[in-house]
Amino acid sequence: MSEVLSFLRNNRLAAYGAGLLLFVLMAVIFGPILSPYQPTKLNIMEALSAPSATHWLGTDSFGRDVLTRVLHGGRITLGIGIGVIVIAFSVGVTYGTISGFAGGWIDVAMMRVVDAVLSFPALVLAIALAAAFGASLENAMLAVAITLAPQFARVARAQAVSISVRPYVDAALSLGLPNRRILWRYILPNGLAPLLVQSTLALGSAILQTASLGFLGLGAQPPIAEWGADVAANLQYARGSPWVALAPGTAILLTVLSFNMIGDGLADWMNPRRRKRQG
Amino acid sequence: MIGFVFRRLLAVIPVLLIVLVLVFSLVRVVPGDPAVTLLGPGASDVQIAALREQLNLDQPIVMQFVSYLGGVLQGDLGISLKSGQPVTLELMKRLPATIELSVVALLAAIVIGIPLGVFSATRPDTVLDQGLRILSLVGVSVPAFLFALVLQLTFGLWLGWLPISGRMSPFVSFEPITGYYILDGLLSGQPSLALLAVSYVILPASVLTAFLAAVLSRFVRSAMLEAIEEDYVRTARAKGLAERAIIYGHALRNALLPAITVLGLAFAEMLGGAILTETIFAWPGIGRYMFEAISNRDYPVIQGTTLLFALIFIVTALVVDLIHGWLDPRVRKRLK
Repeated sequence: MSEVLSFLRNNRLAAYGAGLLLFVLMAVIFGPILSPYQPTKLNIMEALSAPSATHWLGTDSFGRDVLTRVLHGGRITLGIGIGVIVIAFSVGVTYGTISGFAGGWIDVAMMRVVDAVLSFPALVLAIALAAAFGASLENAMLAVAITLAPQFARVARAQAVSISVRPYVDAALSLGLPNRRILWRYILPNGLAPLLVQSTLALGSAILQTASLGFLGLGAQPPIAEWGADVAANLQYARGSPWVALAPGTAILLTVLSFNMIGDGLADWMNPRRRKRQG
Repeated sequence: MIGFVFRRLLAVIPVLLIVLVLVFSLVRVVPGDPAVTLLGPGASDVQIAALREQLNLDQPIVMQFVSYLGGVLQGDLGISLKSGQPVTLELMKRLPATIELSVVALLAAIVIGIPLGVFSATRPDTVLDQGLRILSLVGVSVPAFLFALVLQLTFGLWLGWLPISGRMSPFVSFEPITGYYILDGLLSGQPSLALLAVSYVILPASVLTAFLAAVLSRFVRSAMLEAIEEDYVRTARAKGLAERAIIYGHALRNALLPAITVLGLAFAEMLGGAILTETIFAWPGIGRYMFEAISNRDYPVIQGTTLLFALIFIVTALVVDLIHGWLDPRVRKRLK
């Protein structure tokens, strides 16, 4: 905890990011409880009304309170982001650790597959996969996770390669422990730190990509309040009532920005050269 | 150098092969019988059988892949289910639009991103530097569709300065020669047409430029900060060189070398954003074509565009590596 505080004290940008993230988290956790409106309740009589004292961010084409939808959507969008990272982390880390531990031609072959997946622009692959799996939120999450997994695989592999030559792994091997046990007990836990940093860095892009799929109609389906899908659904009304599309879009920007500010600071912090200068 | 080029080319082959397997698999992961899913409800048995044959679905999977591979090597990406035209032809028609858009964005990003990075690095941790850092983080965090919408509303609707969709006004008679409209305007001796084409490209290119310039300026800033601490900069200072000569002649020159790699990768990554940008601005390129294909469930086109994007990515990475190796002998050694 003291390390976290000293990190934030030394890194203004990351501190701002953490503050912004805290604000977003508070808003999506407590906002829906405090809001008097329902995110999917229709009220055609009040459709597309401008921001006012009763509707702080106005209403959308179905008369739904935009602020309430943004707050509810935040729960879904953040949940999606974390879900995507959990999948990408599990798949990528398992794959990369096995590859690095196995070494030799297995390692070469397994990493070529990673190179190939990384040869697609991430969003293009996510779109193609989501289109092939069929449009649904679960499929969109899976598609984005597949495009993010190689990053985890690469970091995990590098960790496994450097840890595999440590004396305690040699000792475990000479004791005759089974490979699976060495992987789980010795290699994985000792290589975890940079992978957790990688998770923070990837959360922003996970949210951004899933929102983009939602925007293209390949992610969350109506009437779910998801930020990307909400921007797309309200695009045709944006000329007359810009708030309906700008509000969820800005919410995405602020959330992704907070993760990127923290990630930027973390990357700075991990870089020994910069650390020396600050220090 | 020749050995370096050869080794780098050789390394591409296995990756290319796996990319082809992945793209080939796209249609095969469609749940159920692809032919039935593709045609949708209400298709007759004859239609289904014809499509199965067209997609080679009646053959063993390995043979399907071999014939797909053979087709791709001859530039045959199949037939669009929607238009009935060869996918390759459809892609060729739309490629110039995407290239024009992304090249304009790339040039703008270089002109904006590098000076901003240098500016930041020469006054680290000042208010201006912090402000620019946050601005560049906004550039990489903003969803393409949000920025596009803000630009359309501001410059198209409220100020009325720039057109918000399409590539060329429907009210002028214009015969494309090369398919690159800005170039065509100049070639046909009508600079006003070229200017008109420029006015159409500004907003969509800005969306892509924002991302690229942000990535580039962030990288240049950190590379410059590292370069400024190097011994050769201290030497340059010690022999009394002017600060300008140190910054531009020594620090920037060394920081720009790795920036080529970063810019190349960011450029290829940006193509994903081009799908969103082209869709919003009705820009008739391959990104928008891919979006249309998804709405129409035109799987051969989805496969074709995905493969094309991957190829552009691979070629960009290759070219960037070769340039880097050509400029920096240390990179050539590393691959040996």
